[in-house]
Amino acid sequence: MSRAQAIAQEIGSSHLWLGRQLAVSPAQSTGFAALDNVLPGRGWPIGALTELIPTVEGIGELRLLLPALRALSRDQGRPIVFIRPPHVPYAPALARAGLSLTSIIRIETRDDEDARWAAEQTLREGVAGAVLLWSRADADLPLRRLQLAAQEGQALAFLYRHPRCLQNASPAAVRLTLNPAPGAIRITVIKARGGTREASLLCPLREAA
Amino acid sequence: MLWLCLSLPQLPLEACAPRNEGCVAITDRKGARRWLIACNQACTANGIHAGLDAAAALGLHPDLQLIPRSRRAEREALKALAIWAGQFSGFISFDAERLLLWLEIGSSLRYFGGLATLEKNILTSLDALGYTGHPGIARTPEAAALIAYAGASHCIEENDSLRLRLSPLSLHRLALSDSSLLALQESGLRTIGEILALPRASLARRLGPAATLYLARLLGEVPHPLLAYRAPDRYQRRFEFFGAIETFEGLLFPLKRILGELEGYLRSRDTAIQDLKVVFTHEQHAPTTLQIRTTMPLRDASKLLALLRERLERVPFSAAAEGIIVSAERFVPLGDTQLDLLDAKRRRNETWAGLLDKLRARLGNDAVHHLGLRDDHRPEQAWCIASDQAPTDIPPIEVERPLWLLKSRQLSYLPKIIGKPERIEGGWWQGDDVSRDYYVADSPDGSRLWLYKDLTTGHWHLQGLWA
Repeated sequence: MSRAQAIAQEIGSSHLWLGRQLAVSPAQSTGFAALDNVLPGRGWPIGALTELIPTVEGIGELRLLLPALRALSRDQGRPIVFIRPPHVPYAPALARAGLSLTSIIRIETRDDEDARWAAEQTLREGVAGAVLLWSRADADLPLRRLQLAAQEGQALAFLYRHPRCLQNASPAAVRLTLNPAPGAIRITVIKARGGTREASLLCPLREAA
Repeated sequence: MLWLCLSLPQLPLEACAPRNEGCVAITDRKGARRWLIACNQACTANGIHAGLDAAAALGLHPDLQLIPRSRRAEREALKALAIWAGQFSGFISFDAERLLLWLEIGSSLRYFGGLATLEKNILTSLDALGYTGHPGIARTPEAAALIAYAGASHCIEENDSLRLRLSPLSLHRLALSDSSLLALQESGLRTIGEILALPRASLARRLGPAATLYLARLLGEVPHPLLAYRAPDRYQRRFEFFGAIETFEGLLFPLKRILGELEGYLRSRDTAIQDLKVVFTHEQHAPTTLQIRTTMPLRDASKLLALLRERLERVPFSAAAEGIIVSAERFVPLGDTQLDLLDAKRRRNETWAGLLDKLRARLGNDAVHHLGLRDDHRPEQAWCIASDQAPTDIPPIEVERPLWLLKSRQLSYLPKIIGKPERIEGGWWQGDDVSRDYYVADSPDGSRLWLYKDLTTGHWHLQGLWA
């Protein structure tokens, strides 16, 4: 129990506003208790953009999403859409991780603009459980459009970005940088709308090989 | 039998759909005489109307654009309308000379919920296609035509009231030969009523038996066998533009009309399509062909138009389009997906299918796909790009695999190896023999790699990332 909650309980008043209770959005548990604890709504925000910024590739940046994606694809039967991933999402690994392959779509596009367009369309329709987009866009407007589309369709929206984007602000609800760590992934919360600020934690990755 | 006749006086203009904003009129000619048969709205505002002599009209408005009528375009449009009308009636006929379209609606009344609803449906749909039509409803086709000409759509169901209704109308609307009409006018007759009052025998003597047969059919005294139009089993519609079209906006109007007609065709046969071929013809270049394939059977014109729009916005024309040919050959049942609006799951599937169609229309069919498994030991062969309905009876692999598969590339240095190797051999039956030892390794910057040593060459390769 936090100090604020303790105080609230002592006063015995439900009229006391706690900053962290403000604007709590619906969320999908990440499957990692430590991570859920620092995110608003205790999970990946539904209907808002989540930015993931790995410093290098191959550090568990995708495995981090597997518990949530598994819940969406296998339990809820909702499509998962990979848009312009940098490499081939390896079907044997996805199937082994418990994702239903019939629910996974990969979209290849000629350029970044088409990729963002596809993400926007998919998010807006609200049928997909999650959209994973790899984009190099830096301008504010395209990101804002994605954020709006995610809001409209109430889906999970993950945007993978390059570390250089950290120089600029972002309309995303959650912004995390990802660093390698032995048997885990180090997550630094750069921004979490309505949640903890500037937390840093280690997330154990079970299937880290 | 109850007939609804649509008089389409503007068809000569509407069939070629000129995009000129100014005054445009269609002309017909006989010998040296040229006169206006249809005008656009700008003409009416300038006092120019159908029937005016071409020279006189040009005198009123020198910028008037005159277009000679195209009988071929009119015929194409009428045929397309006959096909479209099939959704409202099982018996359709048309007269290209008089620009009339007949629908037998007696048998359709119950299905469409009564005369008023049916008539409204027909007129709304006709308007959406961009045609002007005046309806007339009567027990005989010719009476329906006369009422349609008169421009006030009253339904005349009884033959007695029919005489009453027709009597005051001017006789020049009767479908008699020019010489017969002239002879009647010279005898001082002016209205249809006056002619109907004459003894039939004396009329037959003066005008010939064809005229009396026509009058008998008009009043329903003898049956009037019309030739039924039968829609072809394959759909094809040609539309030649009046002036080349360069932009998608310009194409919107003809596309909307054609897809609306197609929807009528599909409705009349209670069917739908998954494939649509759209060909744009150009003057100097080879035609542009678009193939639209939808995930679910469709017949809704607005949905088809949205798909075409996505495709066209991506593929600019090499040259302006001179005309368009839309064809559909394979038909599939629609299913009841469009009716069962309450079933949320079904609706979600439909939205999903619609989304995939939209994405594919812009990005290309192959750009949006599933990922499948293949029963092969070689990692690069153990996956595939799969179609929407790919079977997935291959069990998942029992050992761990990285989430990113890379195009294998040879390594110039050896990173730090972790754990024991996994030997993979296979492919000998395809003459693509592999023998490899796979390792997990850490790169200096913290990436976890999936490597193999090719046992035949001894070289090290990178093939995956533990993302």
